[in-house]
Amino acid sequence: MILEAVKYLAYVLIFPGFLFCFLTGLLLSGIDRKLVARMQKRVGPPILQPFYDFFKLCGKETIIPAAANRTVFLMAPLVGLAGLVVLQLFIPVFSFTAFSSVADVIVILYLLLIPALSIMIGGGATGSPYAGVGLSREMVTVLSCELPLVLVLLAVCKKVGAATGTGLCFSLTEIVRYQMANGSLLGKLSMIPAAVAFLMVIPGETGSHPFDAAEAETEICEGMLAEYSGAPLGVYKLSHSVKILSMTSLFVMLFLGGIGGGIQNLVLALGLAGGAAGALTILLDVIVLFLLCVILTAVAISFVHAVTARLKIEQIFKYYWTVVSALALVSLVLAWYGL
Amino acid sequence: MNMLSLQHFPIYSIMVLFLGAFLIVIFGQNKVFRHTVALLATFASFFFMAMLFKPVMLEGQTIAYWLGNRVPAGGYAIGIALEVDALSLFFGLLVSCVVFVACIYSIQYMSHDDNVPQYYTLFLMLAGGVMGLVLSGDLFNMFIMVEILTFAAVALTAFRNTANGALEAAFKYLVVGCIGSTCILAGTIVLYAQVHTLNLAQMSALIPGNLSSATKLAFALLFIGFCTKAFLVPFHPLAADAHGAAPASISVLISGVLTKSGIYGLIRLSYFLFQSMALGTMQFWLVFLGSVSMFVCVTMALAQHDFKRLLAFHSISQIGYVLASVGLCTAFGISAGLYHAMNHTLFKGLLFLAAGAVLHETGTTDLGKLGGLSKKMPHTTVLFLVGAFSISGIPPFNGFASKWMIYQATYQRAVETGNIGFLLVTICALVTSTLTLASFVKVTQSVFFGQLPKEYENVKEVPFGMRLAMGILAAMCLVTGLLPNMVTRYLTEPAARAVFSVVDYINNMMGSGYAQSAMAAQPLNPDVSFASAGVWSPVSWLCLLMIALLAVTIVAIAGKYDRVSIKTPENRSGKYDLFYGGEETVYSQVGGDDLFWGFKHNWRHYFSFMHELHSGVVNDYALWAVVALALAIVYALIVL
Amino acid sequence: MILLNYIASFFLIVLGLYCIVVKYNLVKTVIGLSIMDYGVNLLIITIGFNPGGTAPIFTWGELHPESFFVDPIPQALTLTSIVIGACVTAMSLALVMKLEEQYNTIDTREIRRLRG
Repeated sequence: MILEAVKYLAYVLIFPGFLFCFLTGLLLSGIDRKLVARMQKRVGPPILQPFYDFFKLCGKETIIPAAANRTVFLMAPLVGLAGLVVLQLFIPVFSFTAFSSVADVIVILYLLLIPALSIMIGGGATGSPYAGVGLSREMVTVLSCELPLVLVLLAVCKKVGAATGTGLCFSLTEIVRYQMANGSLLGKLSMIPAAVAFLMVIPGETGSHPFDAAEAETEICEGMLAEYSGAPLGVYKLSHSVKILSMTSLFVMLFLGGIGGGIQNLVLALGLAGGAAGALTILLDVIVLFLLCVILTAVAISFVHAVTARLKIEQIFKYYWTVVSALALVSLVLAWYGL
Repeated sequence: MNMLSLQHFPIYSIMVLFLGAFLIVIFGQNKVFRHTVALLATFASFFFMAMLFKPVMLEGQTIAYWLGNRVPAGGYAIGIALEVDALSLFFGLLVSCVVFVACIYSIQYMSHDDNVPQYYTLFLMLAGGVMGLVLSGDLFNMFIMVEILTFAAVALTAFRNTANGALEAAFKYLVVGCIGSTCILAGTIVLYAQVHTLNLAQMSALIPGNLSSATKLAFALLFIGFCTKAFLVPFHPLAADAHGAAPASISVLISGVLTKSGIYGLIRLSYFLFQSMALGTMQFWLVFLGSVSMFVCVTMALAQHDFKRLLAFHSISQIGYVLASVGLCTAFGISAGLYHAMNHTLFKGLLFLAAGAVLHETGTTDLGKLGGLSKKMPHTTVLFLVGAFSISGIPPFNGFASKWMIYQATYQRAVETGNIGFLLVTICALVTSTLTLASFVKVTQSVFFGQLPKEYENVKEVPFGMRLAMGILAAMCLVTGLLPNMVTRYLTEPAARAVFSVVDYINNMMGSGYAQSAMAAQPLNPDVSFASAGVWSPVSWLCLLMIALLAVTIVAIAGKYDRVSIKTPENRSGKYDLFYGGEETVYSQVGGDDLFWGFKHNWRHYFSFMHELHSGVVNDYALWAVVALALAIVYALIVL
Repeated sequence: MILLNYIASFFLIVLGLYCIVVKYNLVKTVIGLSIMDYGVNLLIITIGFNPGGTAPIFTWGELHPESFFVDPIPQALTLTSIVIGACVTAMSLALVMKLEEQYNTIDTREIRRLRG
């Protein structure tokens, strides 16, 4: 009983929870900054710069604006971060899932709203007009991403459900397990448009260039973060980095889950058994996941960041509801008719 | 018969409300007396309903009560009957519970109005009308109750007749409501001509094998009649007018209770009287109507600039969810729809009460004039946020639990039937949910966040009684969201089973064996299964979130997270002077209409078209009603 | 004869609806509501009417198997419906009066502060 509790606590606090999110998220963010700089022929900050930034911010004084409610102002960043960490617990790491019977894909879709909501509530509570403008744009960005994301997830559910004979499959663990047995979904023709659409959603969901109208620092002083300073600001920055991890690892699990099967075969081929095999599998899973996340970050976030300029908010909306949604819809229709 | 046997409880729970209404007419000048009577009557009504919970919900009984003990003789039901199966009781519990909470709220909310006795009379009449409607076992009595509740609702809409638009809203509601009521009466009488009875159970036995053009016409008439009561598209503008103008405690009833009575009528009509839901075309009709209501009303809500009108459009949007889910004709779908109906009553009640609290303190509900109230009304803000999160379907609140079930149900239905239309409903529901969130972000920003206008400097928190009513509803929002398994097992699943056990319903009323002998074809009894493809365990999720939050908070506090901080410019020390150049604070509130222009810009043609369409002229709305009636008649004649 | 009644009731209902939809005068709208109501009342009475039947008034012992009378239930329903119709008229006229005081007009096209 106590052992169980300690195990679950370790899941929440260390892996795949808080500590893992903290390290990997900030590292991904550092790699992203370095890559963008290199693509733009700059030297760029060191890869560990986000860590330095975070600890520096934690050492700074927090200023609570006169108009803000103290509790809301301080708690909103923490709730957002906790929500993201819990979300990460539901995303499998190939064969390893911390909590498989708590939430399905639809829940994950809604859990993605919680960080956005926390930043909106926290920013809105400061009463700053910059926050008001930022909040409006953040909401429209969320709204823009929602339709393609919904279509992608429904397409994947239908595809896996049809293949496994259950008709429908909402469980992310099941989706990964199916892929480990039958190869990645990215290999299926009908899923390629959905994967592309999801790749396009990643920068929108994480609020990076060119979809960062909500935080446009040159325009509205980081919008909702305008009044934030010190540690709460650091927590928001951390959440932003963790969201990169969440979105990229969600992509890996939805479309590249088959790689987990390869890892299992590799471990089997090495002739290991028992606890050693399990430990090695998880280790390899984590390393492979991290490498894939880095690649995805490079493709979906850094590259796009380096080559585009910021879009206006109504352009973001139009882009997602036409181009990206159409791609996802193609996949859904193909999956629907069993292709 | 013993006066305290369960048999009598349904009639008691209707009677106490009407009795209370008449007592208040006579002795209502005394303040203490009328409050006591109103509270007692509403509580007694709830109590009698709750007493029926065990036999009906848990043991699966159906309680039939014949007024004057005129039980059917010779296979003909002449007497007036009440019949309480799990479906009726589900709605009865919901209604009586919300009426009680609204009554608590009314006491302080209405304290500044004059003619308060009349208010309570009408309030109790409205509640009694709805209770009578959902418990009645007789189609003509349903019509009478519809008329009573329509009258009470119209009068209450116009109650604050000096308020902007109250009379206008009441008149429009009266005209279209009367068209609806007349449709119900005409439908009732046409059915009577065909089957020579008004008893619901007997009609359910006789009509399905006896379909003629006349009964199809009656179906269309009754359908449109109940649609006006549920304010489904195209009757949604009336909901907006009526909710917006009525006092908040009445908006709670109109949105939470009156619309549910329409849904109840539609379920009785299509699942019981005509048993037509096995037809794919009928499912299409209901689901299509639900989806259109869901989407059109949420976009209308986004364009509103009045707090209560916005909430009113959301009501109909949520009713759209309910109807779309109920129209699926699967046990899981009906269970999901009823669950959402219940949740809608709770969270929309909470939101309207919050809007009423804002109106009570500031005197306006115009989103463009308000702002920054979170500092002055912290409790109301938190309670409002609970309601807003619930309606937008943010886990772990109740809106999420039921919407999640609706997504599963519609998608499962799509896969089962291979019909891509149901898939579109799933997508529509998911997108509508996000649009709902958007419009509540707009309300939150415009009313509670941002900057406080000068004239509301002295606004105070609302009195305790009003916060208590809101608190009850907020707690219920959280509890029903955290325990979806309990709610479905004890409330919605028995009700959904009742929907599929028409034969039991008939036999219970008319004597066993009647259904088998009278019905031409035995109704199909589909596989009543409540299995779903997905998983959602809110309690485990909440535990995880709490652990994570605790961990983060401990780390944050250990790291001197809340190290301070100047709070106001007054107490600042010299070291911040650099940041205050002595400039005046400028009032700049971002809120109201333009908040989502990035979204609206892309849809500007749609929005301006809708704005033109909702002209506010009562003739147009009447014309919509006539057109809807004509379409319904044509559709019913073709497909039924 | 009976057919004529059905036609008349249908005509009255349609006339009432037409009046509500087309006329911009609030009082005429109220009249339309009433006409529609009368149409339905006529329909109810017609449904319960048996040509050649007597009035359904029988005291104890007067009722024989060969008695031929009109159906009493629709008549009871009609009474209820008439009462409700009167209530509708009274209430809507009261609202019209109040509206006239507030808006200084009874033209529906000008009573549209709530729209959009």
